[in-house]
Amino acid sequence: MTIVTGKAEARRRLQPGRSGVLRKIWEHRADYAYVLPAIAVMLIVIAYPIYYTIELSFFKTPPGLQLRDKTFIGFDNYTTILASHVFWKVTWNTLIWTLGSTLISFVLGFAAALALHRDFIGRGVLRAILIIPWVISAVAASYIWRWIYHSDFGIIGAVLVGLGLADRPPNFIDSVSTVLPSLIVVNIWREFPFAMIMMMAGLQTVPEQLLSAAKVDGASAWQRFWHVTFPHLRNVSTVTILLLAVANFNSFIIPWIMTGGGPSNASHIWITHIYELAFGRQLWGVASAYSVLLFLILMTLGYFYVRALSGNERKEGSA
Amino acid sequence: MSTIAETAPRGQTRRRMRVDGWRWAGRIFLVFMLLYTALPMIWMLITSIKSGFAAMQFPPQWWPDQPTLASYQKLLDPQNSVGQDFLRFFWNSLFVSTVTTILSVIVAVPAAYAFSRFSFPGRNFLFFAVLLRNMFPAVIFLVPLFILMRVLGLVNTHGSLILTYLTFGLPLAIWLLKGFYDNIPVQLEQAARIDGATRFQAFIMIVMPLSTPGIIATAIYSFIGAWNEYIYAYTFLSKNDQLTLPVGIQRFFSENTTDFPGLMAASFMMSVPVVVLFLVLQRYFVRALTEGAVKH
Repeated sequence: MTIVTGKAEARRRLQPGRSGVLRKIWEHRADYAYVLPAIAVMLIVIAYPIYYTIELSFFKTPPGLQLRDKTFIGFDNYTTILASHVFWKVTWNTLIWTLGSTLISFVLGFAAALALHRDFIGRGVLRAILIIPWVISAVAASYIWRWIYHSDFGIIGAVLVGLGLADRPPNFIDSVSTVLPSLIVVNIWREFPFAMIMMMAGLQTVPEQLLSAAKVDGASAWQRFWHVTFPHLRNVSTVTILLLAVANFNSFIIPWIMTGGGPSNASHIWITHIYELAFGRQLWGVASAYSVLLFLILMTLGYFYVRALSGNERKEGSA
Repeated sequence: MSTIAETAPRGQTRRRMRVDGWRWAGRIFLVFMLLYTALPMIWMLITSIKSGFAAMQFPPQWWPDQPTLASYQKLLDPQNSVGQDFLRFFWNSLFVSTVTTILSVIVAVPAAYAFSRFSFPGRNFLFFAVLLRNMFPAVIFLVPLFILMRVLGLVNTHGSLILTYLTFGLPLAIWLLKGFYDNIPVQLEQAARIDGATRFQAFIMIVMPLSTPGIIATAIYSFIGAWNEYIYAYTFLSKNDQLTLPVGIQRFFSENTTDFPGLMAASFMMSVPVVVLFLVLQRYFVRALTEGAVKH
């Protein structure tokens, strides 16, 4: 720090009028004081773990957390992962989980936002009720739904039996074929309110004059939505979908508490699988290699995320 | 145009019918969403007032023969060992969430202000670096953070949770607040500066009060996030008297999975504080999203 400032000082004295990066940094030193606490916390709790994860991914690690006894094995952890069929199974699950949850949550949330856009009696109450699942803890949500899906006393099973649609209650989350869709239903239950809030906020920015102009020109409700409302919401939609996708890709609590990844890996997604590899089977090195692969995927998503966000910024700047 | 004018009456009715069709579709859809959203929560409440015996019946009792608040009494009774644990978990969650919220606001406010107002070198890079935290799942930080916390001597303390929770509240907090500051005219501060205030004074006296809704939104977000967090608490804490609610409840009922009324009552009690907090302050939160995240 002192070296940097010293250099900048010296350069300023020697070459007045020249604007170097260091000098700029020095001139703005007071500004950094505002962001320093945030950056410091992020560095300790983000940068160090990222570095350490990358390092561990190249080592064979002993069980227990005696990680000083690790041995370097190059890319072995990575080849082990890519060769295992569980990896591909889990990747497929993750894809279905992420895409299914994200798209359905978005569509339901968007539709709810549109339906709630017009004022009617009780709108505020209805909106508040629809938001609640997003606020309550995922742990509570998992217990509630596990009880609803219960194979002996679950209410959905009881209704199906009562209507004569099933002989006995189905094993929603104990059966390989139904577990993933059943968990996605729970996840959507928790996530659609977020899409709804975002899209409601977005809808308020659609200029009313454009809509009424389109109406005067004889555009149908659908045409007005498709040609006026929707294009206006492109940015909000992108950001919402990306945030949902990242959140779903990273979800842990619902699959972990409801099924623990079972039965026979049918509901394991990347995150729960990594957790099990690390804390269940204590394969720290393999779990770290998984995490590094995850980084790479997320950085790709992150690139689009940042681009969508800065797209917003640019638009705002020009407006 | 002329054809529309000629057939105006018929065209009008048809258009109105079409519009009504959409409105009805919207209403039916909202009823469906209401059922989807509310029924699980209603079923949680109904189960929580059943006796353990009444819950284990098939077909289920839609409404219990003998509704009872026994599960709630048990959870809230400090004489009872279940109640002792539950209340302790509750206070632990309240403590961790409150401290996290206060620290988040203290750290996020100046950072967001700087990102909004100042143009120092590396500003954009740092801003997006902070936002990128949202991309990374908790799980991949667990092992290194566990080791780090051991080095810092924070394992089995609430400090480990508070430090960790700070970082995942911060990105959205900074983002929301920055949106707020962007919308506060710079001229207000300049006027204050002309009247002799320093930049910091202008920030405290002019900008802070105007951004109260954003600060409240940030606080709600941090609080709810910390209250509901599970995975770090599950990993960092092992002593029974330190657990927070999400983990505590799990420990509690993993031994006795048949007590569904108790589990539902606990889930309900865990949800009450955050739902009430959110419902009371939701207009701030929704407004913050409008101002910060949804720019057109």
